[in-house]
Amino acid sequence: MKKILKQRRPIDIFLDILTLLLILVSLFPLYYMILQSVVDWTTVDKTIIPKNLSLASYDYLFHSTNSGDTMMWLRALGNSLLVCIPVTLVALSVGLLVGYAMTKLKHFNGKRIIFNLLLFEMFFPKIMLLVPKYMILKDLANTYAGMIIPTMISTWAIFMYINYFETLPNEVFEAARVDGANTFRILYHIAMPATLPITTIVFLTTFMQRWNELMWDMLIAPSTRFQTLNVLISTRFNMMAQHPGPLYAASVILTLPIVILFLCFSRNFREGIHFMLK
Amino acid sequence: MDRKKPKKLQYARETAAGFLFCSPYIVFFLVLFLIPLIWAFWLSAMNWNLMSPNREFVGLQNFLNAFRDKKVLAAFKNSWKYFICVVSFSLIGGLVIALLVNRMPMRVRGIGSVLFFIPYLTSGVAVSVMTKYLFSYNSILNTFLREKLNIGINWFINPTSAFAVIIIMIVWKLSGYYALYLTAAMQGISADVKEAAELDGSTGIHRFFHITLPMMLPTITTILTLAAGTSLGVYTEPFLLTEGGPGNATTTWTLEIYYRAFTRFDSGYGTAMAILFAIQIFVTIRIINTVMRKLNQKYGC
Repeated sequence: MKKILKQRRPIDIFLDILTLLLILVSLFPLYYMILQSVVDWTTVDKTIIPKNLSLASYDYLFHSTNSGDTMMWLRALGNSLLVCIPVTLVALSVGLLVGYAMTKLKHFNGKRIIFNLLLFEMFFPKIMLLVPKYMILKDLANTYAGMIIPTMISTWAIFMYINYFETLPNEVFEAARVDGANTFRILYHIAMPATLPITTIVFLTTFMQRWNELMWDMLIAPSTRFQTLNVLISTRFNMMAQHPGPLYAASVILTLPIVILFLCFSRNFREGIHFMLK
Repeated sequence: MDRKKPKKLQYARETAAGFLFCSPYIVFFLVLFLIPLIWAFWLSAMNWNLMSPNREFVGLQNFLNAFRDKKVLAAFKNSWKYFICVVSFSLIGGLVIALLVNRMPMRVRGIGSVLFFIPYLTSGVAVSVMTKYLFSYNSILNTFLREKLNIGINWFINPTSAFAVIIIMIVWKLSGYYALYLTAAMQGISADVKEAAELDGSTGIHRFFHITLPMMLPTITTILTLAAGTSLGVYTEPFLLTEGGPGNATTTWTLEIYYRAFTRFDSGYGTAMAILFAIQIFVTIRIINTVMRKLNQKYGC
């Protein structure tokens, strides 16, 4: 306790300033992005203080008929959600099921095989499979399935669940079985609540990574009807050079939901990192 | 009920349940990993335009061509530049942030690490939008540099500045994420060790290099492995901002593989490039782990 009351030396003041400075650096791009999305079009990129505020950029995104398609941006946002939500749900369910089978089914006679498959898969970078995967799935071009199916199972998520289940005592699961609960009841009433901490981490990470995916979505769903928000911004990247305001607005719409989602769960997320390091 | 049945039957049922639970993964593994993997090796030996029905077996010719391909050589050279810059700067950035977060008062420590973590959540596309216009000719930044400091840089025309801007974007994004791992590791160092060090007169910088850093070697190894994968696989930023240029100054493996396979439809050659790239990643991660294990044996606790 005494240490805290100790007098502050110059070095402490210097480090405090450095801390504030680095926080500013890490948040400045977000501030800049949001600011440019709400200033008048004549001042975009010409100011770093809020003045001449206007919602023209957002208005353009959702109401302008310039592109001939007023729904384009809103639909892209919807597409992003329609892809990310199923992918995240499947990744979580598969992680839970495989994690449970690998750790809590004591007499499951295939653990070793599955574990080796997982390790083998982790060994190869994904880019190696890009072309053949595209060839297998090119019949699903411009469908949600084409974007969802190849990304919905995450080896990383499975490993996270396996590691987490290993920390849970077997006795709880044994006891439930002795009491006559069937496997599905055990999964629903014991495994799911018990793994909530790791579910938060896997949920946030999978959702964020899927949300920010670019290359696969660009390849498999190039039609504007199916483009995700991330892809749509990248295709409009150079087309709005004269008036970048709407691009900033779209970037804010792309970024803010993820940031808010994380801020809501930030506590669980940090606990999860502690777990991952053990 | 189960207990009355013979044990063998119960074991068999458990195995069946296990395979049932793992079946989505097994199907995924076979269809979207194993088949594409085998196909990748077969494709790499083909001269095949993605769009045409004709293909020709060329053996190792794709690989041999790759060694003489200017674009491939540029991607290979750049991948090391990206690797060294991103890994070292984001590790140093992460360490600095972690040390600063660690000396924050307990109440604000959580918020502190979250604030540094936010960049990691941003999409490369959104940050590229911002960067493109922030560094454009008429932006406030360039106007300021021109009028006040008389510096006129055409950021994405000059190879050095184009590369530097991309590196800054990536380091900005990753540092706070790695700091989260490092903060957790620092907090994991027990108070006993710190106190013992203090009694021995080890404080400040000395303590950092002789106690804190060696004790964090396992975490640093994890970060180096993650950063190696990320830095070698960069593509969003150069794809949007420079298309690999100027010259080939910012191009990467992923970008060249993409252009080859999907804009020039040269799928066999693109896949051969991807295999070479996979070998590079594998070797790099192997080297990192070997070096770090040696370091850990020598200095670790």
